[in-house]
Amino acid sequence: MRPQAAAALLNAFRARLVPLSDNLVAAVFPLMKIFPAAFCIERARRDGAIGPRSTLVESSSGTMALGLAIVAKWFCHRLIVVTDQACDRVLARRMQDLGARVEIVDAPAPVGGLQRARLDRVREICARGDDYLWVNQYDNAANPAAYASLAAQLAGEVGRIDCLIGTVGSGGSMCGTAEYLGALFSDLYVIGVDTFGSVLFGQPDRPRGLRGLGNSLLPRNLDHTRFDEVHWVSVQEAYTATRLLHQTTSLFCGGTSGACWMVARHWAEQHPDQRVVCLFPDDGHRYVHTIYDDEAMDAGGYWVPQLPAAPREVSDPRDAADTWSCLRWSLRSYADVVKEPCLITTAG
Amino acid sequence: MEPITFEYQNGHGCRIGRGWCAGHHGELFQGAIAGDHGTMRRCLMTLPCDNFQSSVSFFPDSSGELRVDPPHKEKARRTVQYSLDALGFHYLGGVIVVRSNITECKGYGSSTADCVAAALAVADALRVKFTAQELARLVVDAEQASDNLMFCDAVLFAHREGVVIDDYARPVPRLELVAIDSEPDRLIDTLDYTPASYSWKDLQYFEVLVTALRRAVRTHDLPLLGQVATASAGLNQRVLPKPGYADLRRLARERGALGVAVAHSGTVMSVLLDPDDPAIEHKIEALHLDAARLGLQAARLTTRDAHAQRRIA
Repeated sequence: MRPQAAAALLNAFRARLVPLSDNLVAAVFPLMKIFPAAFCIERARRDGAIGPRSTLVESSSGTMALGLAIVAKWFCHRLIVVTDQACDRVLARRMQDLGARVEIVDAPAPVGGLQRARLDRVREICARGDDYLWVNQYDNAANPAAYASLAAQLAGEVGRIDCLIGTVGSGGSMCGTAEYLGALFSDLYVIGVDTFGSVLFGQPDRPRGLRGLGNSLLPRNLDHTRFDEVHWVSVQEAYTATRLLHQTTSLFCGGTSGACWMVARHWAEQHPDQRVVCLFPDDGHRYVHTIYDDEAMDAGGYWVPQLPAAPREVSDPRDAADTWSCLRWSLRSYADVVKEPCLITTAG
Repeated sequence: MEPITFEYQNGHGCRIGRGWCAGHHGELFQGAIAGDHGTMRRCLMTLPCDNFQSSVSFFPDSSGELRVDPPHKEKARRTVQYSLDALGFHYLGGVIVVRSNITECKGYGSSTADCVAAALAVADALRVKFTAQELARLVVDAEQASDNLMFCDAVLFAHREGVVIDDYARPVPRLELVAIDSEPDRLIDTLDYTPASYSWKDLQYFEVLVTALRRAVRTHDLPLLGQVATASAGLNQRVLPKPGYADLRRLARERGALGVAVAHSGTVMSVLLDPDDPAIEHKIEALHLDAARLGLQAARLTTRDAHAQRRIA
């Protein structure tokens, strides 16, 4: 496909900017991760890291893999996605339909679990030859850099922005958008939304119910010093908020958007003179049989009768637990807040 | 009084021509945007300023030779030459008198103002009109890189191509400036100065700034305009650092100004203020005192009155 044609298609994935209240705008994406997918591939092509027939490899069980599958198809690259059983069927089917090969890793590594085992498998594949490139959304600087176009869109359509709120997984969308918007709005207040059991902001690693945000490894693309506040939400709160978002605004989004909205709505209400932008990374179609299914919600015990009116404030990330919690991160480094190094990085 | 006219061999009426053009005080934005096929287009938007003016008189004659006063205003002479060529009067000569109150090599756009005034003087002498775009081409041909002083409306201008990339269809909003020269003893010749090299990452920052700039001008959003100018000035610190920039930026913040703007290839910089701010007199006075405390001399300036410029162009 010609680059212009690909750019035109990519343009169709841009966010809709939806005003949710006087001072809150949601950037609603059908598939946000297509932007880092496209930009990682574009940079690799420009820098000569890949040739026209190179094979791309990535470890992902989420929308990054789908984004890569779409863009790899546009540019006729082969794609191998390494994932685990958590990868949902619809996503896997779509990727395969686009020509990607989906490899499932079953056995967790002794240290670092399934995520480490997946990365080990990626390294094994890439060792086959020079014509394999690990996209590596966690450490690839092209991931955050993909969000310059979002920052430009926001600055052009919203104008002054005081606060940016979004979920954190690889660090790409929040750190990238904050970097480019921050060049223009030097006082930009940045709030990251994480989930319990994610190591990103100093919680002890444990199995997480909520997908699409959080991480059990610490990616290099996460620059902790960009965050003024960090919030942790539970899977129950995120799911209930996602339904409430749909019921009150008709926005049909995934669970990470619900988590983000719960935090953003509260913060915007508390700061009526501040203009807030929040990021909704994907739409709700993948969650029709989970979040949007009442029986599945009942069976999983995902309903929260009443969402908390405000987060519980903590001063140590390890104290955040059970219900929506927040910490004034105040642009500090990980070591400054957590006081001990995080050993489980993606570099491994 | 009717100007003196006299006939030439081909029968065209010709008279003494006059033209003038205001200078500027640096740029609200300067950088580059991505062009086609991985290229980049350098572009800027100037901060036009009525306090600086160049006026040119052109006394045509049939000598075939162009003389300029003062003699070092070579770019103005070249502009007259190119203008005559463009109009089919390459055989004309004459005297070009440039009178300007604009200091050269500081970032006030002195040479562009001279060149625009010179081209307007030729057009006046030959009773023709150049469009702003024609002026832009002539001036860029004469001086290689020029500012967008020939346009009444705010434009994003490819200053080494002489082409308008984006026309905002509105004048640059009126602003009050508290201006200082960061290095009074330093002179920078635009052409001796190597153009900044920008990385792909720089182009990304510029993309954000340019979309914000368009919104700021189109919606008359002065705070946003101030933020764009400040960000552009900040990015330029890597290219041509200005001593005292950080101080000026801090002062602008403390005094509740819109932001700061710099000459991206000069030494001057300014604090931007909203002319409709009720506290403006107080703020300007305070900024003057602040600057004096830092050992800097400040001047009060205003941006160009777009209507005055429209009358001449």
